[in-house]
Amino acid sequence: MVAGDEQRFDAALDDGNVPIDSRWDAFVRGLRRWWPYYVMMAPGIFFFVVFHYLPIWEAKIAFEQVRIIPPNIWVGWKHFETLFTSPVFWQVMANTLIISGMKIAFVFPVPILVALLLNEIRSGPLRKFIQSAIYLPHFLSWVVIAGIFIAALSPSGGVVNQITGFFGLAPRSYMTDTGAIRWVLVYSEMWRSGGWDSLLYLAAIIAIDQQLYDAAEMDGANRWQKIWYVTIPGIVPTIATLFILNAGMFLSADLNQVINLSNDVVRSTIDIVDTYVYRIGLQTGEYSLATAAGLFKAVLGMLLIVVAHNVSKRLTGKGVW
Amino acid sequence: MLAKTLLATTAALALSLGLAATASAQPTTVRIVSKDLLTTNPEDVAHIERIEQALAERGTEVDIEIVDLPSSGYADALGVMLLSGDIPDLIYFQGGDAKMVEQGILEDWRPWIEQTEYLKDGLYAHNVARLENYPYLLYPYPVRIPQPVIRREWLEQSGLEAPQSVDEYVALFTAIRDGDFDGNGQDDTYGITSADNTNELDAIFNQAFGVTSTWMKNEAGEWVHSRVTPQERDKLAFYASLREEGLYDPEYITTKWDIKEDKFYTGRAGVILGSSMEVIDIYGGKLRQVEPEAELVLLAPPEGPGGRGLAAVDVSKESRGFAMSVLSENKEAVVAILDFLASPEGQMMDRMGFEGEHYTRSGDTIEVTDKISTWYARFMATANWEAPVVWQSEAAVASLDQLAEYYTPDNAFVFPAEYAADLDATENVYRSWVYKFISGEAGMDQWDRYVSEWEAAGGARLNEYARGVLDE
Repeated sequence: MVAGDEQRFDAALDDGNVPIDSRWDAFVRGLRRWWPYYVMMAPGIFFFVVFHYLPIWEAKIAFEQVRIIPPNIWVGWKHFETLFTSPVFWQVMANTLIISGMKIAFVFPVPILVALLLNEIRSGPLRKFIQSAIYLPHFLSWVVIAGIFIAALSPSGGVVNQITGFFGLAPRSYMTDTGAIRWVLVYSEMWRSGGWDSLLYLAAIIAIDQQLYDAAEMDGANRWQKIWYVTIPGIVPTIATLFILNAGMFLSADLNQVINLSNDVVRSTIDIVDTYVYRIGLQTGEYSLATAAGLFKAVLGMLLIVVAHNVSKRLTGKGVW
Repeated sequence: MLAKTLLATTAALALSLGLAATASAQPTTVRIVSKDLLTTNPEDVAHIERIEQALAERGTEVDIEIVDLPSSGYADALGVMLLSGDIPDLIYFQGGDAKMVEQGILEDWRPWIEQTEYLKDGLYAHNVARLENYPYLLYPYPVRIPQPVIRREWLEQSGLEAPQSVDEYVALFTAIRDGDFDGNGQDDTYGITSADNTNELDAIFNQAFGVTSTWMKNEAGEWVHSRVTPQERDKLAFYASLREEGLYDPEYITTKWDIKEDKFYTGRAGVILGSSMEVIDIYGGKLRQVEPEAELVLLAPPEGPGGRGLAAVDVSKESRGFAMSVLSENKEAVVAILDFLASPEGQMMDRMGFEGEHYTRSGDTIEVTDKISTWYARFMATANWEAPVVWQSEAAVASLDQLAEYYTPDNAFVFPAEYAADLDATENVYRSWVYKFISGEAGMDQWDRYVSEWEAAGGARLNEYARGVLDE
């Protein structure tokens, strides 16, 4: 490549208009130019390859009868048939869809609201204090959070029942109430992740051009109007991206959370695909059946991502690819 | 030329014989995977080394290799390890063994134990029964049945004798509730608490209410699961009355084992149950951290309308224990290790720790040190070995005597894998209804509804299968 070509190539690289036949060259040149970033990215790539991509091949045991002494025996769709004819599995699927749906509806918007509210706090120290306080639950394990919630929701001496008792309401055992336990899952998830997840939205808000706010100010917009017409449109791409990624995780209602907050009374109400896979796969050793359930969930998750991507493209013009 | 050939042949022969001799001197490597047996624990490593040394002195050269698995989530990690094809010679299971048996991976212990010098005599009655029904797991330890303990001071403060009947238990629980023995100025102490479910209570009240075994005969003379019998109903009605009177912790279902202990140590519950003598000593030790003078008293199971005793012991199989891989090329060495551990010398090592550290010897007198409380048997606590000195608490020792006095084998058996869904579903129905009855959410007049639901969830099939097995 002569010097002029190289300059044009660099310019094309910067513009992102690299011809298809030069993609390999572009990759190599990009690697040379941005190698420190690639080095920083390497551990992440390594992690995903080793723990997410390589195991895909082993998902074939969903179609096999696993033998500890090889070879495994090919059984085709047998495990899927077993799953789909089991009333327990459909109960578990229904629980998963209900709990995940509730989380998408009630938990997903919370970090957005938190970020918008935090952005409106003008006092620096107060904002930092609130941020620190609401980020804290993210670092607690579900074992600890379950302990906190069980204590707080205790019908005898729990703070929640003390408050409701102040208003004359009878004590209620939320942890053993099949009607309330899913809300406990939703609220505990909200409490744990609402603050921390707002970080991404806060970063997106900070990245919005200040001139847009200045222009809105000059046009006489009040704070509410600035939020509605500047801030929210500014973070829509972030919301769309995270919504699509969340859609992929739609059927993962959080194994750790459910296991720690479960008990004999509510187990059938909050038994989800992940707990089923854990129980069947790891505890009883039916690895093939558990893999079939997991694979089914993964395929549904992928379909949901595609659907969410297309819907987002149509509504906001933004997607993940 | 001939001389050179002879010399070369002789040299080659000598060399090959030398190599063969070296090879035969190589100790047999036995790989062991067990919970809490780790190369990162110097005590474990030293313990294994002295076992190797003792075996070598007996003419068995063994190199024991510990396979490290995390103690947390051990059963899950073990399953994954075995599935990956890494199968040690001796494997400690804490569940998940049935799948391995199904695939023919585990050895039948019986013919091997028969050949041993010490191990065959070191088994408990429940071990022998379980090996007959399920010969793949071996766990030579005393049977584990929860037994109740109370602070001696509280029992004395109640002004009552240790309870011997159901009514006397109620009287004791009532005294605990009303006596403010923890001195916090409030009547907020429950008579008894348990963790997660009512299993611990069942350990002492099953026999009292006539729930004598897992399978019982109904009025028509047919086998039915005890969970749908009138005796079970009466027992649950009793639990419900305890809860209603404020004698049984109403939040038992959300009480984990650590919270259960905490409620006991902080005076929110008067009686808890410990599953073994070691656990009872742990309770005592932890209690003394907050109340240095505290001492525990073991309570006996009560006499009731149905009888007296501890819950019948499931002898269908060991719920945990050691298994030997059929793939092991060193089965003789594995058995030699276990037989040595069952011998008086092996038991001294495995149960009393290290001389100079966990105990001291002066002539024929042996005294334990404070560190004995940190030592635990890694492999077995045989039935026929008596420690030269007793260091466990009075309550812990009494628990062993009580186990021997009230041991009753159960008639439970292992269901085939195709009944797994029925077992799972009926378990869920039973557990949720037990809570409903105890919490008052459902009255005992709804018993028939519960029975119908239990049968519809697969209980009817279980009953039918049990009749086929038990009537044989």
